[in-house]
Amino acid sequence: MNLPGVIDDLRKIVGRDAVLDRPEDVMLYEYDAGVRKSTPGAVVFPQTAQHVSQIMLVASAAGVPVVARGAGTGLSGGAISQAGGIVVAFSRMNRILEVDVENERAVVQPGVVNLQLSEHVAHLGLYFAPDPSSQKACTIGGNVAENSGGPHTLLHGVTVNHVTGVEVVLPDGEIVQFGGKAAESFGYDLTGFFVGSEGTVGITTAITVKLLRKPEAVATLLGVFESVDDAARTVSAVTAVGITPAALEMLDGWTLRTIEAFCHAGYPLDAGAVLLIELEGLREAVEEQAVAVSEVCMQQKAREVRRARNAEESALLWKGRKMAFAALGRVSPSYYTQDGVVPRSKIPGVLQHIGEVGKKYDLIIGNVFHAGDGNLHPLILFDMRDADQYERTLAASRDILQYCIDVGGSITGEHGVGMEKRDMMRQLFTDEELDVMIALRNAFNGDEVLNPEKMLPMPRMCREITGVSGNAVLAREGM
Amino acid sequence: MSTVVAPASLARELREICGPGYVIDDPAKLEAASILGVTPALAVEPATAEEVAAILRLANERGLNVVPAGGCTQQQAGAVPPPIDVLLYTHRLTAIEHYDPGDLTVGIGAGFRVAKLCDMVGASGLLFAGDPPAHELATVGGMLASGLIGPRRHGYGGLRDYCIGVKFVTGDGRTGKGGGRVVKNVAGYDMMKLLIGSWGTLAVITGASFKLFPLAPQRRTFIAEFSTVADAIEYRSRVLRSPLSPMCLELVSPDAAAFLPGDDRSNAWSIYVRAAGSDVVLARYRSELGKAIGREVEGDDESALWRALADFPRTLSLRYPHSLLLALSLPPAEVRTAVQDLESIAGHNRVQLAVMGRVGIGQMLVALWAVPASPAALAAAASAFCTTLGKDSSVAVLQCPDPLRPQISAWNKTPTHRRSMQAVKRALDPKDILNRGRFVL
Repeated sequence: MNLPGVIDDLRKIVGRDAVLDRPEDVMLYEYDAGVRKSTPGAVVFPQTAQHVSQIMLVASAAGVPVVARGAGTGLSGGAISQAGGIVVAFSRMNRILEVDVENERAVVQPGVVNLQLSEHVAHLGLYFAPDPSSQKACTIGGNVAENSGGPHTLLHGVTVNHVTGVEVVLPDGEIVQFGGKAAESFGYDLTGFFVGSEGTVGITTAITVKLLRKPEAVATLLGVFESVDDAARTVSAVTAVGITPAALEMLDGWTLRTIEAFCHAGYPLDAGAVLLIELEGLREAVEEQAVAVSEVCMQQKAREVRRARNAEESALLWKGRKMAFAALGRVSPSYYTQDGVVPRSKIPGVLQHIGEVGKKYDLIIGNVFHAGDGNLHPLILFDMRDADQYERTLAASRDILQYCIDVGGSITGEHGVGMEKRDMMRQLFTDEELDVMIALRNAFNGDEVLNPEKMLPMPRMCREITGVSGNAVLAREGM
Repeated sequence: MSTVVAPASLARELREICGPGYVIDDPAKLEAASILGVTPALAVEPATAEEVAAILRLANERGLNVVPAGGCTQQQAGAVPPPIDVLLYTHRLTAIEHYDPGDLTVGIGAGFRVAKLCDMVGASGLLFAGDPPAHELATVGGMLASGLIGPRRHGYGGLRDYCIGVKFVTGDGRTGKGGGRVVKNVAGYDMMKLLIGSWGTLAVITGASFKLFPLAPQRRTFIAEFSTVADAIEYRSRVLRSPLSPMCLELVSPDAAAFLPGDDRSNAWSIYVRAAGSDVVLARYRSELGKAIGREVEGDDESALWRALADFPRTLSLRYPHSLLLALSLPPAEVRTAVQDLESIAGHNRVQLAVMGRVGIGQMLVALWAVPASPAALAAAASAFCTTLGKDSSVAVLQCPDPLRPQISAWNKTPTHRRSMQAVKRALDPKDILNRGRFVL
């Protein structure tokens, strides 16, 4: 491939100032919030779908790989380029194109920051439901690529449940539309297929999303437990009484103490675990549910159940949860977050297993996760300068994910497969099942110009070669 | 394309796959299984996904036309098929793969009947939210393939929202899988989305997993009647802007009410609000919904009413076999104009009109018929209506009088890029084995 020639062509498309190729500039785009790195050859900042289309044509003709990038908050390497590839960064396509109040839809460019959309429509009593912990920074384009979740997905679903249409640039440069403003569209649901395709099918340039009406009442409860086990059993007990909370999060004792030292959310320092439970809806229904959930917690040996008295107290409890990753950054040079999922009834078992894994590999592992839908986020603390510790971290991580698979779960609930879990796809899918997915990718992206070597493992014959850098990646706020 | 294989040798090969008792070649039985007047050469009843894969691989080698069939409740949809070589029944694929009520998930074979699934999980106080027409016959696989469900779509979301895993065999005979049995899972492509509503043109679904919901202990339906559709839609918007979150929110046109149980007939445009909750919660519904509510229904009558609403397509086809039934998916704000256009177009063409559907989310069913039958009038009405729809709208023809079938593809409408859909079809069914010619992309 002839990268200098390609870079000239890119500058003709987007202008001189919208292409970076100096090593010190492109270096800033070599990582995401995960642990892998790879330096792109160029970073280009399109402003229109036509720009993206022309970029794709140039890249396809030259055979240079392309990856779309939002804010780089992803945890699985989805937005990391192949060495020497082109990063298409969407920070200049960050406009909210339309707010359609009557249909409760918004049309946004991919670079719009998740939380900005909710803030933009708040005065209308509306909000965008997917709320990843990184929502202050992450973009909706990235949310679409990874099918991101967040704490409130328990009641409202993940990104795909809130996207009704996408404008997509295909690898051949064609700009096409899948779906629209209607809740569903007849014909194949290519919108649903596109969301979560991790940048391997096309690049979205406009996204039609649902906006939800803010609930009348919200109750935030904090169930305080002596042990992780009691808290874990409470998760199933809550759903068994017919209540689906808006969010049901668990923090183990070690994690909540670390958070408390960092941001004083008001968590009890001596607890074994807490459950952060949010209920929302009609005032009368929320009151009834709050009473019922408190009773369930007490039956499951909760020490106490606190209820936020007002929005400030509720926000403080949530601040602790959302700052968990930042808090860990203070106590460890690096950490590795996993994203396994288990059936809800297997939560007590998997937490026990994570405890054993920590001992076996001599690592500190904190747990802060979406308990209500069984989506774990074990946080393994390590120092990347210590090669042995790094290897143990990866081994511990594989061990935990294998356990998730063995009990009928998955290797990722909301972070995506990306680079990091690509080789584990074979534990989840047979060769034939993967072949079907590869056939679909090839239907759109046959030359693998778009985000090559992500998500789907290579055919068995080829050996996977992926470089892992040994440099420390600092934990950053807002992941 | 017509078949090149003599049925006798094909029947022998299929018997080797499925066992001697599961290949049907009795002409009377095959005739009874006709799809839109086309009698299949053979029918097979595989018991496992492996048998399905073997059948489809054989069909690929021979270039056969295979029509997948569940409960055959929606086989009246689509164009008249070319000669059918193999009708592939899924009703023996009924294994329960996983069911632990504590997980609020279930995984079952594609041939499982929907009503039976509802009964099974209902015994543990859980709800399967899918409510397709004729649910005692409809299979899980057929429901997914058609993508058709009923009024619960409003409050519980669509199949795309609660189907969490799918197993299938592609048109080229490969065994595939998407998702799994956990409620949150982004590993690999979302194959569930691709297969829901694909009408059996990409793969034969062999099994699926679903999220379940707590069964509401107490339900109540509030009915408000209006003299015009505009007033009914205005009331709908008021309900949507209120703090209420009903299970169902339906619009029923005057002529659609005639398809409901006797007591629910009316000459008005009605909004049906179905709520669940304690007495206190229902009292709040009553006060929010206000004076417009003329009637409340509860208990068995209430259940029967919602069954009748879900069964509208079946009742329509029994009562008016020569009617045209369109499914519309519109941005919710466009429903009023669409229905008003329909009223005037139906009047102009002197055809009867019944409209019913999920008015809060814009998923409507539109039935047109004429007495005495007049295919020309129906065609004129349907064509006139389809030209009024905006770019975000889509239309699927669910039932159609035979003389009008050649026009179906002109009425089907989607905002989704056709060549991309065709590329997906070629990737999974390159030899066009499945439902050939029935669902033109």
